[in-house]
Amino acid sequence: MLSCHPTIDILTEYAAGSLPLAHSLGVSVHLDQCPHCRDQVRRLNNIGAELFSEHSAEVRPDHMASLKSKVMASLVNHEETQAAVDDNTAFQHIPRSLRRWIPQGFNDLNWMPLTPSFKLATLSNESGGAQIALSRVKPGARLPNHTHTGNEITVVLKGAFSDDEGLYREGDFICRDHNHKHQPRVTKDAECICLIILDSPIEFTGWFTRLLNPIMRYFHPNSAAT
Amino acid sequence: MNTVSETKTDNTLLVDMSQVAQARDTRALERLFDHYAPRIRAFCLSSQPGANLMADDIAQEVMIRIWNKAHLYNPSTASLNTWVFTIARNARIDYMRKNGRYQSDIDPEDFWSEMADENADPFREAQQQRDQVRIREGLTQLPSEQQQVLSKVYLEGKSHSEASEELGLPLGTVKSRVRLALNKLSVIIKR
Ligand SMILES: [Zn+2]
Repeated sequence: MLSCHPTIDILTEYAAGSLPLAHSLGVSVHLDQCPHCRDQVRRLNNIGAELFSEHSAEVRPDHMASLKSKVMASLVNHEETQAAVDDNTAFQHIPRSLRRWIPQGFNDLNWMPLTPSFKLATLSNESGGAQIALSRVKPGARLPNHTHTGNEITVVLKGAFSDDEGLYREGDFICRDHNHKHQPRVTKDAECICLIILDSPIEFTGWFTRLLNPIMRYFHPNSAAT
Repeated sequence: MNTVSETKTDNTLLVDMSQVAQARDTRALERLFDHYAPRIRAFCLSSQPGANLMADDIAQEVMIRIWNKAHLYNPSTASLNTWVFTIARNARIDYMRKNGRYQSDIDPEDFWSEMADENADPFREAQQQRDQVRIREGLTQLPSEQQQVLSKVYLEGKSHSEASEELGLPLGTVKSRVRLALNKLSVIIKR
């Protein structure tokens, strides 16, 4: 059983479709491994479905008739081809919703070394300012001390890490706000790869790592504006 | 109450749906259109009042997706209303994504796939139907302030903080009204 799940507020926004897409991606990666939250989302969807089906609007019949004939005219009669399921071992630890971003496995991504034990690969810079990236940290290494200026969502894809609040394993979903200052440490037995979704750049707080800040800003979409 | 007649409608729709999936019956799709298209339009107009063109585009898109994905529908993992709702919700997000509001590289079809792959389980189908009836009846009994936030969140597609701005309520109040409603509908699963 996983120990860290999205809150009911986050799951509700996810089911309603009002959670920002970048955050929804993080939730879906968690759902991939969490039957409990999948079940919760299914029930939340049911509420949306009821509200949706009880809510209809009067439309002129001729308008609906012409819309219907448009739909019927554009039907194409072939079954949608199912996406091929790839059981390649390179895909181990890569949830389905991330496969489009990581088509050749983790090693093939463009990893940017930020310290000798910490690398970052950007998957997407969203126009709204969010950054979606993977972090990769060597066994036993500490991450540089950092704070966030926005929310940070972390989902563990491989390995485990801990901070003063606990131990996080594969599938765990961690959401931290900007008041949070923490120094995660990866467990000694294996490297740790996490999906991270940032609303705004990470700030490193140590004297040496402060030198990293311009680099982090450079890789973050909001940096151009400031 | 007219629960019996509504359940009957649900069953008629289910028959039409299986006709679409198995026999590629276009008449059955037309009946699904008659029932769902006005609802899909209304759903779109709640988030973008007056945007009739958008509502038409999305209704058309959703009906085509229903036709194309019919073989993926599994009544033991979701009621038909839930399945159509999730397709409409994704299509609405996708439309916004392609037309400005949230430009993004993320394709909503990459996720929300959780409903497609569960194994069939007849026990679950009965459970689904009971849940659905309980929610349907529970919704009509909620205090109006709770109905109001649920419809902001689900129909208008507002985040909790957008809802709090529009209603002039503190964010905490919006969150707690949503949670109270979820509790009354017995939707929250205890861990
Ligand atoms: Zn969970």
